[in-house]
Amino acid sequence: MGINWIGLYTIIRREVSRMWRVPVQAFVAPWISALLFIFIFGSVVGGRIATIGGHRYLEFVLPGILMMNIVNAAFLQSSSAIYFSRFVRFVEEILVAPLSYAEMIAGSLSVVVLRASVTGVGILLMGIAFGASSIESWPLFIFWIVSVSTVFGLLGIIVGLWSKNFEQLNMPVVFFLTPLSMVGGVFNTVAMLPEWLRWIAWANPFFYFINGVRGAMIGVDETPPGLGEGLTLLLLVVLGGTVWRMYSKGYGLRE
Amino acid sequence: MTPALSISHLRKVYRRGTVAVEDISLSIPEGEFFGFLGPNGAGKSTTIHCVTGIAEPTSGKIEIFGIDAVKDYREARRLIGLCPQEFNVDIFATPRQIVDWMGGYFGMRAALRKERTDMLLERFDLIPHQKKSFRELSGGLKRRVVLARALIHDPKLIILDEPTAGVDVELRRVLWKYLQEINADGRTILLTSHYLEEVERLCRQVAIVNKGRVVREGTKDEMAGGPGGLENAYLVATGAEPDHVPGAA
Repeated sequence: MGINWIGLYTIIRREVSRMWRVPVQAFVAPWISALLFIFIFGSVVGGRIATIGGHRYLEFVLPGILMMNIVNAAFLQSSSAIYFSRFVRFVEEILVAPLSYAEMIAGSLSVVVLRASVTGVGILLMGIAFGASSIESWPLFIFWIVSVSTVFGLLGIIVGLWSKNFEQLNMPVVFFLTPLSMVGGVFNTVAMLPEWLRWIAWANPFFYFINGVRGAMIGVDETPPGLGEGLTLLLLVVLGGTVWRMYSKGYGLRE
Repeated sequence: MTPALSISHLRKVYRRGTVAVEDISLSIPEGEFFGFLGPNGAGKSTTIHCVTGIAEPTSGKIEIFGIDAVKDYREARRLIGLCPQEFNVDIFATPRQIVDWMGGYFGMRAALRKERTDMLLERFDLIPHQKKSFRELSGGLKRRVVLARALIHDPKLIILDEPTAGVDVELRRVLWKYLQEINADGRTILLTSHYLEEVERLCRQVAIVNKGRVVREGTKDEMAGGPGGLENAYLVATGAEPDHVPGAA
């Protein structure tokens, strides 16, 4: 049996429709948050900090601000979509339809990438308005946006399937995503940290995502070539395999 | 002739160890209007969930028109339309969206989806409500939406899990008429209901389940022909006390 393209497109249509019901939550909130960061670091703090690698401080922090919001957008899109569909049981519409697990997962992830991309474009435009947006390598930039949003889309699916209540759904954001992204090199280089603390940055996956997109935007890259890309691809394989297994076992989906 | 639905030794044990279906075997010929009766918790909905993919069978075999419902689930599901007991719907979506999306999941092209959606919304008197969100609708209207959703892809086997629960007399009659029409067109219908009058009026074959097993199966005429009619047969089969059986000697 071939791919059910219309079914796949319908999953995307439905999720886009759901996303547009909450435009403030989906787009306005991250844009306002990013705008405040850009304003503080561009106009208030940035003027008092020396350049980093020949770039203004705002140019240095903008990729991190962008990545933080993309991570949040991706995670919240997939986790809330899956959890809500389980909570009110309309996930059963998908379960009784002739859709493969790959089509179900691909449909969810397509909307994740779409939401993360729209969020990212908005932040880039704000950066342009503050004279801080630049892209050195478009292919690398697109790689980082798509791969990182997919990683967190997959993580969101896992959490959405695992959660038994809204409290559990929000736990990863509070205890994992926000703290790790804050200490993942958004505001500083590894070289700015005391030597004994640098292992924290190297052990933090967010560091590689932020560093990667920063390399694609302004060319400042602190990791050996290919390391961040390799780790991200490895994460994609591991998380993708986990989500596939959960779907095929019906974990959180089937009775 | 290949049966529309064949269930052989179905068993379903939930993760916490609850046995919902002990051992159910059924064969429903194509074109049949089949009543599936039993008290609450007898295993009717779980059996339906196993047939449609909402639940995973622990053991046993289910075939839809000869297609294995577990191994070849995608082919099997194309043939089934389910109207569930509970409203498993995106409550913020409109009736038109709900019906159209379901057609999309089944791979129907836009033009055909529109044609069938228009027809079903018209048929179930949902046109005036098509742009309201599902949660704004009354219980009867909600029931019509999930029924229209089950029929959008014109399935060969229609499974209706208490479709008239909470529905007014008028809609119930509209629904009965429509079901009789599509059954006359060759569609196979499996109906669960607590309204025995409904089963007597619509079904030709009946199976009664209790505690996860089929305890009686036969034609409606056989079961309804004895003293006390179908209700008597049902109460006896499900182990009700004899003095609770109306019409019993």
